[in-house]
Amino acid sequence: MKIRLQIYILGKVMAIEGLLMLLPVICGLIYGELRNSVIYALFAIFYIAIGILISFKKPEKVTIYLKDGCIATALSWIVLSVCGCLPFIVTGEIPEFTNALFETVSGFTTTGASILTNVEAMSHISLMWRSLTHWIGGMGVLVFLLAVVPMSGGSNMNLMKAESPGPSVGKFVPKVRTTAKALYLIYLALTVIEIIVLFAAGMPLFDSICSAFGTAGTGGFGIRNDSFASYAPHIQWIVAVFMIMFGVNFNFYYLLVAKQPGKAMKLSEVKVYLAIILISTVTITINVMSVMGGSAEAARHAFFQVATVITTTGFATADFDKWPALSKFIMVVLMFVGACAGSTGGGIKVSRFQIRAKTIAREINSYINPRSVKKVQIDGKAIDPELERSVSVYFFVFLLIFTASAAIVSLEGHDLVTTFTSVAATINNIGPGLSMVGPTSNYAFLNGLSKWVLIFDMLAGRLELFPLIIFLTPMAYKGAFKGIHAKKQN
Amino acid sequence: MAKRGLRIIVVGAGKVGDTLVNRLADEGHNLVIIDKNEERLTQLANLCDCMCISGNGASHETLEEAGITETDLFIAVTESDELNLLCCTIARQFNRKLSTIARVRNPDYISEVNYLRSKLGIEMIINPEYEAAVEASRLLFLPAAISVNSFAHGQAELVKIQIPEGNVLDGKTIAYLGQNITNDILIAGVERGSDFTIPNGSFELKSGDVISYISTRKSNFNFLKSIGFNTRSVRSSLIVGGGTCAYYLADLLIKSGIDVTIVEKDNARCEKLCDLLPKATILKGDGTNEALLEEAGIHDVDSVVALTGLDEENIMLALHTKAVSNAKAITKINKITFTEAIESLNLGSVVYPKYITAERIISTARSRQAKIGSNLEVMYSLFADRAEACEFKVKEVSRVTGVMLKDLNLKPGLIISFISRDGKIIIPTGSDQINVGDNVMVVTMNKGFTELTDILR
Repeated sequence: MKIRLQIYILGKVMAIEGLLMLLPVICGLIYGELRNSVIYALFAIFYIAIGILISFKKPEKVTIYLKDGCIATALSWIVLSVCGCLPFIVTGEIPEFTNALFETVSGFTTTGASILTNVEAMSHISLMWRSLTHWIGGMGVLVFLLAVVPMSGGSNMNLMKAESPGPSVGKFVPKVRTTAKALYLIYLALTVIEIIVLFAAGMPLFDSICSAFGTAGTGGFGIRNDSFASYAPHIQWIVAVFMIMFGVNFNFYYLLVAKQPGKAMKLSEVKVYLAIILISTVTITINVMSVMGGSAEAARHAFFQVATVITTTGFATADFDKWPALSKFIMVVLMFVGACAGSTGGGIKVSRFQIRAKTIAREINSYINPRSVKKVQIDGKAIDPELERSVSVYFFVFLLIFTASAAIVSLEGHDLVTTFTSVAATINNIGPGLSMVGPTSNYAFLNGLSKWVLIFDMLAGRLELFPLIIFLTPMAYKGAFKGIHAKKQN
Repeated sequence: MAKRGLRIIVVGAGKVGDTLVNRLADEGHNLVIIDKNEERLTQLANLCDCMCISGNGASHETLEEAGITETDLFIAVTESDELNLLCCTIARQFNRKLSTIARVRNPDYISEVNYLRSKLGIEMIINPEYEAAVEASRLLFLPAAISVNSFAHGQAELVKIQIPEGNVLDGKTIAYLGQNITNDILIAGVERGSDFTIPNGSFELKSGDVISYISTRKSNFNFLKSIGFNTRSVRSSLIVGGGTCAYYLADLLIKSGIDVTIVEKDNARCEKLCDLLPKATILKGDGTNEALLEEAGIHDVDSVVALTGLDEENIMLALHTKAVSNAKAITKINKITFTEAIESLNLGSVVYPKYITAERIISTARSRQAKIGSNLEVMYSLFADRAEACEFKVKEVSRVTGVMLKDLNLKPGLIISFISRDGKIIIPTGSDQINVGDNVMVVTMNKGFTELTDILR
């Protein structure tokens, strides 16, 4: 454990948060929300000042081991969320700490589960900040840090590994910094394109920006009480397509930009992901035809809902809680599948399922041909047995956390579907579940304990379980404080 | 001073590859590493900012995946000479402008270096065994020194000595040394315990200090004599371990008329050495056997060089030599990196082939990175990597040329230690100046200089 380094990273994270908070301030000033603008501006300046102050002294070149990366990531996300929720409390829009933190964690983890009963009553500045947290959390704040702050040493990869979604994190280019920059450039470009397209399609500019932030981070905070239901059908189509685009592995876009479309088309994860979307959409369309006005509308709602759930965004155009059982079932399955690794989406990730499915096939094969030697391959490359093992462990740990969380939430005594889907929708970073936490409802009715459990689940889900678990493991801190003194005596 | 890093491909993540990759990454280059061993790659990728590709470095597909067409420098340092040469040849097919460096150790190929360079278009062939042998031989020619590095094609030397108890230099300032003993040498660095300084005139030397100074070979002898050091070369040498490095060293020593005895375990290798080195005495036996060493005359020889394949054995041999005789001991360390522990052992002189290789390659990389104005010729890392000695060739007029040295606004922690002009070495004073065509050597604590103008603030 390197305390200096942790403080340095935290300082930089705070300063970045402060800087980004200035964007809603501009928006607030445009809308003439003076009081709130001043509050946000003061917080922004305060965070920038504190951040610069505590990260003033650059730590000497140190090696960031995976453990340090995990702790830094967990710590950064917690600090980020606490700092991000304070303006909500001070402006009085979400006066209670637990609620404000829930809303902010939901924002940064790109969950989109809200405790607000009336979104439209919020000020523009707070709505903008809420949506911006999605954008920041989508690609990750440490990746941003790596992209903009020159850090010495080659072990920064362990920071990126801890924050980026997916079973294995690769680089496009030799340097971590260039990779992080490329990721953010693609991310930013796609977001800007979406803003322009939505604006051109007739959405007001403020709505376009907030919706684009929500889509890009696959977050799901709407700025209207009915989420997307009251927007024109063609806007719903646009948003659905963009949601799916942000759920694609960013390697795909990098390969396209790097003029290697052949390689991009060969990414099997993307193919599987699109196939799942297609099959689900068709099945649901047929299934809901009877309750919808017509086939066109059924197709639109089915496509939008499939897109919103598989990418773990959580916008809604229809209340799928009222759909037939088969459709609801598919939606719940999609919640767990999630988007591609290396995208901004949550969930377990398509590639983990791919690896798992292939390991199962190999296992079956080993019963039939006990002596056969076979390696699991993805995209023509053999999967490292270490990775296979970590995927298996991931599934089990996921199940454990899921069960424990559901058990605690069930203490409240709501029906099983509510309990089950509230945990599923938060740990997979989706937002709306079914029944009492369905697309038209919110999480405000839950008690404090349940909210804290769900806050934990959202963070655990976004950071892919292990960073948060390592952060909470006392063993990781062994010798953290002793180390400093021992070195000085030398 | 942000410079564009080069795109470099390194094939082989072994000892040298590892050191090299870490150093190159620190210098800000874009690195792609190719190796067949995935485990080694994973280890490297976790601690170093580089991209790792598992595969065969001589395969067309792997090279394409590594982005060979946009690469500036290609380095092949796998275990196999043939693979290294093949990698470089294939890599050149993609990109005619590519600079390639191959590590080649087999003496069969080394005698054909010029042919390989011109026909295969390989820019540099690096032979760590030979380089290590050359470094060891310099130490045997001047056993009083802890290390000797050569610059300006051997005309200037950077010599490291330790000031013994009761030496004339004890308690003298650098200025006193200049006025009363000699003006032909220049002290470039002093190590005292774990401190390192580039000293000025008022710096006071103490016994136990390890000083590094620049001089020509001739004035070096005079200086060492005047402070009471022995300047004679060794007359006999016992080499333990009969590998490639031992062959190169023995060959160099025999040519200078030094008696060489080689102890080697393997029978076939002994016979091979007999053929290659008819003048050497070859003993077959285990170099870690005390009785055998005694028989080989460890008490009587002037020097013992430990060149076995095992670092631990080499260290033990050096310690044993120090304990039982007054012979000069030289230890070759291939793999282990416990630098602090090795320094505290008082082994005398240590030769690290992997560092020598890395330094040569890094100086090539830096030269490629520099603009046309000057060129880095040789670079040594000094004082446990805390400083560097860089020799630059001045090719055209720049801000540093034609100005008296005392008028240059130099960075701190830096010293211009010699200027080589028309084959003569000038140990500069404030009124000397740098001209086009000179070779200039700079000792600096700021690392990463790629051209001479980097010395200015």
